[in-house]
Amino acid sequence: MTSLRTLKSLEILLESFLDRALAQKEERFTVLDGINRLDDITRATHNGDDTAEPVGNWLAEHNRWLAEDRLKPGDIDRISNMLGKISRTLESGDGSTAQTDKIGSEIEDWQKVARTVRPKLTLKRRPESAGDSSSDSIALFDNTLERLSGLFRDLSHSKQHLLSVLDGALESARLQKSTDALLLSAFMIYYLKQGGYKVEPYVKRLKEAEKLLKEAKRDA
Amino acid sequence: MLSSGEKACFRALQALRDKEYRSAADQFDKAAIDFRGNEEMNLLRETTRLLMAVKSEIRKLEKDDAIEIEEVFSDG
Repeated sequence: MTSLRTLKSLEILLESFLDRALAQKEERFTVLDGINRLDDITRATHNGDDTAEPVGNWLAEHNRWLAEDRLKPGDIDRISNMLGKISRTLESGDGSTAQTDKIGSEIEDWQKVARTVRPKLTLKRRPESAGDSSSDSIALFDNTLERLSGLFRDLSHSKQHLLSVLDGALESARLQKSTDALLLSAFMIYYLKQGGYKVEPYVKRLKEAEKLLKEAKRDA
Repeated sequence: MLSSGEKACFRALQALRDKEYRSAADQFDKAAIDFRGNEEMNLLRETTRLLMAVKSEIRKLEKDDAIEIEEVFSDG
């Protein structure tokens, strides 16, 4: 009986720990819920389902996210990529309707706002001091690697070859003026070059995307 | 789009929120490869597994303690 009581106390303790751990992440959970729903909609769109209404509802429900500063840079990239895919699929569908045109326009608005709210990373080196630490630059690079890894997962989904992923990354860098997509493209190009691939056409596209990105930053 | 590991991780969190611990443990297992370096997810996964083991032990002990009651009807 004593061990039963002890186990029941432990059961209550563990359930309480899990409840509190989740409660702390409530806001993040809401964001993940929204991203997961958009992911389902993106897949359904890709499968040919009529998703104009769910996309419209999703945008109506979540368009305040950008203004409320609730999203991490990686979230913004993911959502923008998914909305971009939906937009391209809707555009390539049989004839446009007033509803699909409206959705396309709303997605475009989201992409525009997303570009403006993305935090700009400006690395300025402070005057060196004896106790200067490089941990900030290491953390920034670490965060970038994590975002690039997520972006790579998004872009490589259902692709058969790394060259196709590179093609997608370069398109994303060019159309969305995404620094992350540009960095990921450069990384893949160097990787492929080491493997003996002819990468000159991709280097050319990378330079074009880089130029567009610089222009966009200058105009911002 | 989200990887299958990320989807599984999200389903695990949903199941935890709904207190469906068996389902949460299964989904955490599916997400394990993608999240092996994520300490927070590992902690939730191991806690869920421990909770499942505790619940299983409780069930066993409660079964042992159950008193079997047999009703005896006398004729007439």
